[in-house]
Amino acid sequence: MKKFVALLLAAVMVLSLAACGGNGGNGGGSSADKTSINVCIASEPQSLDPALNSAVDGATMLVHLFSGLAKWTKNGDAYEIVADMAEELVDPVDNGDGTFTYTYKIRDAKWSDGEPVKAADFEYGWKRATSAEISADYYYMFEYVDGFEELPALADNKLNVKAVDDKTLEVTTTGQYPFWNELLAFPTYFPVREDKVDDEGTWATDPSTYVSNGMYTLASWEHNSLITLEKNPNHPDADEVTMDVINFYLSDDANNMLSNFKNGDWLLIDDVPTNEIATLKEEYPTEFKVDGQIGTYYVCWNINEDISPAGKELSEQDKAKIRNAIALLFDRNYIVEEIGQAGQVPASSFVAMGITEPDGDQFYQQAGGGPGFDYGYYAVDKDSMQSNLDLAMDILDDYYTVQDGKLTDFPVMTYLYNTSEGHKAIGEYLQSCLANIGITMNLENQEWATFLETRKNGDYSIARNGWLADYNDAISFLDMWTSGSGNNDVQFGKGDHAKEAIYDLDLSGVKGYEDKGGSGTWADTYDKVIGYIKTEQDLDVRNDLMHCAEDLLMTTGCICPLYYYTDLYMLSDKVNGFFAMPLGYKYFMYTTVSE
Amino acid sequence: MSSKTTSYIIKRIILALVTIWVVMTVTFFVMHFIPGGPFTSEKAVSPSVQAAMEAKYGLDKPLLQQYATYMKGIITQFDFGPSIKQKGRQVVDIIFDGFRTSFKLGVLAAAWGAMAGVVLGAVAALKRNTVIDRIIMVIATAFISMPGFIVGSLMLLVFAVQLRWVPANGSTAAGLILPVIALGLSPMANITRLTRSSMLDVLGQDYIRTAKAKGVSGTKTIFGHALKNALIPVITYIGPMLAYIVTGSLVIEQIFAVPGIGRYFVSSIINRDYPMVMGTTIILAVLIVIMNLISDILYKVVDPRIDFQ
Repeated sequence: MKKFVALLLAAVMVLSLAACGGNGGNGGGSSADKTSINVCIASEPQSLDPALNSAVDGATMLVHLFSGLAKWTKNGDAYEIVADMAEELVDPVDNGDGTFTYTYKIRDAKWSDGEPVKAADFEYGWKRATSAEISADYYYMFEYVDGFEELPALADNKLNVKAVDDKTLEVTTTGQYPFWNELLAFPTYFPVREDKVDDEGTWATDPSTYVSNGMYTLASWEHNSLITLEKNPNHPDADEVTMDVINFYLSDDANNMLSNFKNGDWLLIDDVPTNEIATLKEEYPTEFKVDGQIGTYYVCWNINEDISPAGKELSEQDKAKIRNAIALLFDRNYIVEEIGQAGQVPASSFVAMGITEPDGDQFYQQAGGGPGFDYGYYAVDKDSMQSNLDLAMDILDDYYTVQDGKLTDFPVMTYLYNTSEGHKAIGEYLQSCLANIGITMNLENQEWATFLETRKNGDYSIARNGWLADYNDAISFLDMWTSGSGNNDVQFGKGDHAKEAIYDLDLSGVKGYEDKGGSGTWADTYDKVIGYIKTEQDLDVRNDLMHCAEDLLMTTGCICPLYYYTDLYMLSDKVNGFFAMPLGYKYFMYTTVSE
Repeated sequence: MSSKTTSYIIKRIILALVTIWVVMTVTFFVMHFIPGGPFTSEKAVSPSVQAAMEAKYGLDKPLLQQYATYMKGIITQFDFGPSIKQKGRQVVDIIFDGFRTSFKLGVLAAAWGAMAGVVLGAVAALKRNTVIDRIIMVIATAFISMPGFIVGSLMLLVFAVQLRWVPANGSTAAGLILPVIALGLSPMANITRLTRSSMLDVLGQDYIRTAKAKGVSGTKTIFGHALKNALIPVITYIGPMLAYIVTGSLVIEQIFAVPGIGRYFVSSIINRDYPMVMGTTIILAVLIVIMNLISDILYKVVDPRIDFQ
């Protein structure tokens, strides 16, 4: 009897929770005449201050909360940049000294507190984003603007952007850049109000102090739990907005997200448990979505790691050939079909699928090319596996002792990856491929920050790596490999490699650069061509230079691309009008939900 | 309260402060020695940003000086500093926000767990070796050995996904029902076992026999004599358990997406968010020390024979 009393008591207590639950009761329920959508793209964003955010989830919220000069839209299957706060996306005036000036007219619009949006809000926002006071991660997104300096004090900021009057913004760039309009749609380029913001970003953590000019206002923010955006009726394009309320639930647990999706509470989840992918694809054929994402998953070598057989010393050229031969051993189709299972595309070049050329062609389809394959730096189709393997063994045979199809004197290597089931599975596959030809590769996993530090310092022999582009231009994949770059995990031009004067920069096919190539160290060649790319004005010439840079990069064999990333998410069939951008942003303003 | 008790409590408080200081100091230095830092990311920030940020958070100073500044901030102003990862938010606010939810969750879970545990344990002891006893012990053993993530995931699957009685998201009041039940299961099971064995022990004591011989009613023997004494070991268990449960069970909070404090114990370290690491460690240390102290004092209340030394 007492047991029952106790159980009853416990049950009553638990049920009474519903009554004392406090402020959390709005579970996405919509009031009678407002439409709302519940989604989950990630956990608590790092910051909703447009200048301080550097993450994709924050950017998704910011494109709803703010309006820059330009914005992305989807027109049929194509993504295009259109004017937003600017009346139109104007062509620049050539100043004759290499710089170009754009003059934008600002539309009549209001901030969420009713104040008019002024050109000065852009000038202030841009200068603030490049100033020492806030030291934003993405300050370098303004490096194309004239007067850009490394984090000057705000008062001394010479960024060449000026509010001529309340309605006119004048900005001068150091050249004419094909991706300029895209930059205008990037959150770091959004305006902010000088009288509302602070250096720490505290203003952007509380709806009562948050002022924005976008299609939505920040209605509430229960930290780590729920961010609610409400339609801003004062936005000049408010009549295009079909969704009144967006509830961004904050969670980073893929299993919990899936539970909420399955029971119908959340209509979009941006992550799914890796081990459920195969099942979900079958169970939810129309709701399991795979979109393009501009990024490459690859393996990188430490260029200073010695892979010579015992007793011999191979030259850097030989090592490059060996690394490139090893890249042929991996079946990328197996990796994407059996391990990744998320529609990834086998990669044979570093600059990712989705990056386009000035004429609209895919950059990766114009890269490399060779016998038996139209583009890329190796053949990655299924039929080429055997010939790749034979070719690799031919090359390796020149440098190592081979017995019964196995190399006997290849030094033992360690593959470094950050702790995750997916990376581990890929590591194990690579390990087995190498074991087949007698190479021993041990696996070592490290926790995320430790891993990044180890890889950055070059304390590894071979490591897992990946890169996602910030904007649609091949330079975002190429300038990371200059000797001085902070992302140069391969250690090009560092340590012993700094002295290796073995590279040939062949620019003979590039108009105007025929005799500007040359040979020498990494700094003499690769750094030089990146320098050319950054100053070249002719878009086609610039594009050719970028291909030359990637060619040079790929000869080193230090980058072994495995696949191009895709963006996986679950979207309920009830949702119409949704779209996601290859840069990862997701747009909910034009959605409707059918019952 | 006797002067002996008072001096004991004062002694314990001093000891507690020393413990907390040691925990803080060790954590502070150890966390700075693990590789990586708060500004380590896949896309490396530029050296100028890194330098500016380090200067902003005082990380460019010698470690001992950072330590001195931090301790001074805590002692003089109760200032735990800003979070490095959650821009614009203070560690105190983040912890308070999360703690409020975890506290609500933890107290409810501990309350039902303790009550059910004591009752089930006592019933099992009184009905020793009967079917009821066996059933209770099977249940208790099952919930002790089954890890929280299995029970939690199963409950989520059945009640939130299949039956849809409650939401799967722990940020709403209704969403807290499942995590409260899941979180209370393991303490309930432990307390059941503890109460049962301690109750059996007490029931065999001479004074119980004396009470029975004197003709004291069964109810009075059980509640007035046996149960009261049998609860002493249970109280030792409840103190620290409460501290752990209230500071959030990482697993349960993760499974049900409860916006509690649990996740910060891990995420702050992964992010190398130094002020958050310190904040979460300190709050856990303080709670455990306080709960231990309270359970020690409760001994005295339950059993006057216990003498503070």
